[in-house]
Amino acid sequence: MKLLAVVELGRAVVAPPRPPARRAEVNSSLLAAVALALVPAVAAAASRQVEIGVENLYYRTTESPLNRGNLLGLDRNEDLLRGTLLWRETRGRARGVFRGLVEQRIGGQDRTEWRAREAYVQYGFGEAVTVRAGRQRIAWGSGFAWNPTNRLEPARNPLNTGLEQQGADAVRIDIIPAAWAGLIVVAARSRTGVSDLPFANEGTERRTAALRARFLVRETDVAAVVSGGRNQRTLVGLDVARTLVGQVTAHVEASTYRGAEMPPARADQRFVRVAAGLLYPRGEHTSWTIEYFFNGEGYGDEARDAWLGQLEGSVGEAYAAAATVPYSGGLGLRRHYVQGSWARSVIGGRWTTALRAVFGASDGGLALTPGIVYAPRGDLTLHLDAIVPLGPDDSEYRLAPVRAAVQARVRALF
Amino acid sequence: MLFVLLTVAAAAPAPAADAILRRADRAVLGETAAYTLQMTVIRPGKPDRVVEMKGWKKGDALGLVRYTAPAKERGTAYLRNGANTWLYLPSAEKVVRVGAKQNFGGGDFSNADIFRLSLVDDYVPTLAGEETWEGQPCYRLDLKAKDRSVAYDRVVYRVRSDGTFFPVHAEYYTISGRRLKWLTLDEVARLGGRARPTRLTMESALDQATRTVLRFLAVDDDVTLDDRIFTPSALERGE
Repeated sequence: MKLLAVVELGRAVVAPPRPPARRAEVNSSLLAAVALALVPAVAAAASRQVEIGVENLYYRTTESPLNRGNLLGLDRNEDLLRGTLLWRETRGRARGVFRGLVEQRIGGQDRTEWRAREAYVQYGFGEAVTVRAGRQRIAWGSGFAWNPTNRLEPARNPLNTGLEQQGADAVRIDIIPAAWAGLIVVAARSRTGVSDLPFANEGTERRTAALRARFLVRETDVAAVVSGGRNQRTLVGLDVARTLVGQVTAHVEASTYRGAEMPPARADQRFVRVAAGLLYPRGEHTSWTIEYFFNGEGYGDEARDAWLGQLEGSVGEAYAAAATVPYSGGLGLRRHYVQGSWARSVIGGRWTTALRAVFGASDGGLALTPGIVYAPRGDLTLHLDAIVPLGPDDSEYRLAPVRAAVQARVRALF
Repeated sequence: MLFVLLTVAAAAPAPAADAILRRADRAVLGETAAYTLQMTVIRPGKPDRVVEMKGWKKGDALGLVRYTAPAKERGTAYLRNGANTWLYLPSAEKVVRVGAKQNFGGGDFSNADIFRLSLVDDYVPTLAGEETWEGQPCYRLDLKAKDRSVAYDRVVYRVRSDGTFFPVHAEYYTISGRRLKWLTLDEVARLGGRARPTRLTMESALDQATRTVLRFLAVDDDVTLDDRIFTPSALERGE
């Protein structure tokens, strides 16, 4: 499962910060809906998958330009200890999914909380229409580490794309009018905040309506995307993927919109974001990916200095919000990035080793994410990833307060 | 009477090469089929990797395979539509386009081998003669790729000449003439209402101790399948 490893590692991590009581209410109602939907299914399930797990995300933190005087209130060692549960039940054309966690924070702020990463029900009306409602991953776009056409979900962190991502509260309708075409309509609500990090940031709430039309044209996947709504820019996107030669596949995912997502608003300017990459599975066990990302609204050196200068004068929530811009923007602070990954599985697929690197070409920052997966049995997996930010002190990854991270996960499947 | 029929059959000229290939193509799976498959990847000094999956095919262009076991790989799916292949990763809930020549599930079969059990559309067959293979009388077909996009440049294909048209052996060659791997089809058994080879073993010329075994556990040739299940959109929808 080399590809699995590669793309998992190319998946996004950064998810939203904590607490609000309101979120707990949303979780409760979602849970209730899913539980009700699952009651009849449990009685006569055609297919059931249950997974329990333990995660420990350890962070070594420090004071930094994005944690001036430790305004974020971090301990040197921060831990997120979690118990996780996945329940997926399929009965005929109906499906219910719950993926949630209980988290104990150990560090600057000790507290326990729980949340649902996903909690949805799905029903298929024949082969033509499928409706899914509840908290869910939308996961569209061909990009591995960056998806500039997807502004529906909480932001991802390209530094470790192997962690599970928080879903958005959404209603999604998939329509397949013909074998060569597909249409997805989504109404979603999500927050721009970040989770899986040792500091909290609520972010702002986005309400989004989006449409993605997908076609298969001359052996090429072509998708057009339009999305917009409250607290965000209206974007138009194009996503193209095809096989180049032999085992090599290529993709280009791009979006354009007026006005910036990061401060300052630059309301009259039009911006472009592009992610373009290659996937090359070599031989039986090894695969490589490389992806370039252009963030049109990203800061040059002067704009970066101005932004940092602004942070100097802010405190409290305003500071915390600004300090997490690189994460809550989800697509990086600067303009040019390159992501590369290598993964290799050995010994009958029991061990998978991987190395990911994200290089900030604008400032020389480098984030290395080595990882290993051990699957001693078909129903047990152990993941161990590290994140090491390197590069000049004024580079993006060194501005952030995280100096290193070790993320361990154990999963048992039933 | 039986003697007369057997004599006539024995004396009958061999069918045309493309007719033999067409019959052989349908000997394992029908035009449209749903099946359950077990794949065992065998590597010297390493534990066997056993995967179970459900598959659907429609014609020669459309194919879908979903892993059902082991638990850690359940939900992973491959889709083939013509020359296009996609992989669905349940943990990422994401569809990724992959190449047809890529190894299928880390074994000796390529994606093209799995989804393109039919060879008639990709190769020009020539009847190179008749021979006995593993004690069975066979037609020997020489297949030449129609273009460079096909997984192998040349295939030597042996098909039983006893009227069953069961394929028994295939050797795959690169464009440089090097034998890359070979496939053995055996364990003929009654499955899904008719007899067919139920075990396919692919062995690599690079390392003779390695091989991958596909075993059909169930087959239904009489299913009606909507083309729309063979789309990336349906792939995302899950099992």
